[in-house]
Amino acid sequence: MEARVNHQHTIRKEMQILFEEEKASLTEQHKMDERALADMEERLQIIRRREQELRDEFNQLMKDHSIAKAKWDKEKSELHKTVADLKEKLLEANVSNKDQISEMKKDMDELLQALEGAQSEVDILKKEVAKQTSRAEQCITLKTQLEKQTFELQQVTNKLKELEYEKDSYKDWQQQAKTAQKRLINMAELEKEVTRLRATERSLRDAVCNKLLLEEQVHQLTSRVEVLQPVHQELHEAKVKIASLEASLEEWKTAARNHGVENARVLSSALDSALTSQLSATANCSEVQSQLTQLTEEITTVKYERDKATTKLNDLLTVRKNQESLIHRLQKRLLLVSRERDSYRQQLDCYEKELTVTLSGETGAGNSALLAARVEQLEKSLQSYRDLLDTHDQQAHTKLVESLRNEVAKWRDEAVSLRRDTIKLKAQRDTLQSHLERLDTTPRTKILHLADNPAAAAQKQAQQDYEAAQEEIKRLKQALCEGGSKDVLEETQKLKQQLESRDIKLKRMKEEFTSSAQEYRDVCYMLLGYKLDRTGHKNYRISSMYAESAEEYLTFTLCDEGIEMVHTDYSTSLEDLVDLHLHQHRSFPVFLSALTMELFTRTTVAEVC
Amino acid sequence: MSQQQTKNCITLRGSAQIICEYLKFAINSVLFQRGLYPPETFKAEQQYGITLLITENDQIKSFLSNLLSQSEEWIVNKKVSKLSLVIINVANKEVLECWDFNVQYEEGDIELSKEKKETVGSKDLKKIQQEIRDVMLQVAATISYLPFLDCRCTFDVLIHAKTDCDIPEKWAEAEPIAIANAQNVKLKTFSTSLHNMETVVSYKLVD
Repeated sequence: MEARVNHQHTIRKEMQILFEEEKASLTEQHKMDERALADMEERLQIIRRREQELRDEFNQLMKDHSIAKAKWDKEKSELHKTVADLKEKLLEANVSNKDQISEMKKDMDELLQALEGAQSEVDILKKEVAKQTSRAEQCITLKTQLEKQTFELQQVTNKLKELEYEKDSYKDWQQQAKTAQKRLINMAELEKEVTRLRATERSLRDAVCNKLLLEEQVHQLTSRVEVLQPVHQELHEAKVKIASLEASLEEWKTAARNHGVENARVLSSALDSALTSQLSATANCSEVQSQLTQLTEEITTVKYERDKATTKLNDLLTVRKNQESLIHRLQKRLLLVSRERDSYRQQLDCYEKELTVTLSGETGAGNSALLAARVEQLEKSLQSYRDLLDTHDQQAHTKLVESLRNEVAKWRDEAVSLRRDTIKLKAQRDTLQSHLERLDTTPRTKILHLADNPAAAAQKQAQQDYEAAQEEIKRLKQALCEGGSKDVLEETQKLKQQLESRDIKLKRMKEEFTSSAQEYRDVCYMLLGYKLDRTGHKNYRISSMYAESAEEYLTFTLCDEGIEMVHTDYSTSLEDLVDLHLHQHRSFPVFLSALTMELFTRTTVAEVC
Repeated sequence: MSQQQTKNCITLRGSAQIICEYLKFAINSVLFQRGLYPPETFKAEQQYGITLLITENDQIKSFLSNLLSQSEEWIVNKKVSKLSLVIINVANKEVLECWDFNVQYEEGDIELSKEKKETVGSKDLKKIQQEIRDVMLQVAATISYLPFLDCRCTFDVLIHAKTDCDIPEKWAEAEPIAIANAQNVKLKTFSTSLHNMETVVSYKLVD
């Protein structure tokens, strides 16, 4: 039981433990549930709060909505009102538009009508333009016709002028005819005179014929005389020659007689012989001459040899002289040597004597005598030495001179070499000195100068000048390149060509001018019958084609009022014409033409006569 | 006369002034004699008892006054040993002629110096001027043997100063010059008893 109770106890204990464990777990679960509950409550609270907030919001929004709705309603009503207004306006506008359109249509119709009218007008105007152009053409043709007519008119007027001029001339003619009539009245007298004059003229002509004949005769005679004069002279000369020849012949004859020759033949034979002898003589002469040349050649050779010989002789002579001088010297030397020998002998003798004296002993008086003798001997020897010296002297001198000369030459050479050396040494010295100075001066002194010294300034200036010059050169070179000498050359060439062409033109113009001037003058002369020359400033000289001499000319000067005639010898002879045409008509052309007429009639009359 | 003189007493500065005056006239004379500038730009002036020519070109005048005032200072301070007037060919910068004016410093009158407590000389001013005149006449006579300058020439004056000498403003160091194949002619010297001036002309000898 107990065991059972124990067991029960254990079981209960076990159960108790089990229950306690279960209880603990349950409490834990309970705690967990509590926590979850608390959480859930918190969440609920939050949700509730949110709900409240949302509700507030909703209420607010509802309020807003109601306010907005009221607003929109108001706006809507207003808009409806405006729409109604606009519809009214539209209606009104429609009505007004319809009115306007109808008005516009009307206007359009009117305008169309106007356009049609204008088009028709344009057509009309075109037609008119065509008409006008045709008229214009007509006008142009008319104008050309008018021009032609005016030209014709001018021509006609020119002709008219000419006719007037002719009329004037006719009047002059009439007057001239009057004068002619006056002259005709004097005709009878004139005819008489004419007959008289003819007679005289015939006589004169005869005389002239006679004179001509005589002149011819005279001429012939003079020519004959001229021809005859040389002949005459020749005759004279011939006579003189004959006389001289006769004289010479006579001389010859006498000479021949003297030589015993009587005839010419004998003379000729003699002459032949003489000629032969002469020929032989000339042959001899030539031989002799050749011999002479040979001889002269020989002489020259001989002369040459002689010259050679003389030179040899001279050489030999000089050699001989030298030898003579040598001999002389040798003789002198010989003499010297002999004297020397003598002196040596004397010395020897005196030494011997001395020896004898010294050997013989020294005694007072003898000693003194000996000494005196010795002195004498010594003096003699001295004298001889002196002589020797004198003779020696010259030779020594010449030797000395020669040696000195040699020495001098040597010294000279040495001097030349030394000079060269000195030049070299001087150069060396200079270099060394400069070097030394450089070495010497640098440590002891330093060289200072003003920075702003003239040398620096001058150098700067020079540099600037140089640069400026360089720039200028550059500039000029550029200019040369750009400007180009080619252009200039081309230009000059062009100008030259132009000049040439101009020159040619000018030349041609001058030629043309001279030729045309000449032509003009010729034509004037041919047409008007007067040659006009300008003799100076404003001075003109005219001479008629029909003038009888060159002196018949008139001179005129040009002055401010016109032209004036200057009185000449010829003009004084034309007083009638001058009176009539210049003083009355005051017309130079008429005067001149009257003059031509007169001159012409005169010449024709002369020709007829 | 610009130099100070009291009873034959020449101070160092007075002597330097005499030297600079000589330099002025010598340089002007050379410029005139050698034809570096046209003769019409020169004006005659009486100095040392002879007529000397002074340039009227403003540029040269200012150059010389600048040069000589500075030189005077240097001479007083015994900084200068030689002044060289060089004549240069403008075209190739060749030195054709060089006039060297050598300055030597002398003791002067030692007793008088002690008395005055400064270096002074006691040479008679007239004698100095006579000596200078002789040199000037020699300068004028050089034209007879100096070669003819037939090119565009200019000149510069170089001062041979001691190495410890400062280079003042507007001054610069120059290159030493050398004349090829030079011929030297020494002219007379003169002395102020404080300075001895020797004038030497060297020129290019033309073969």
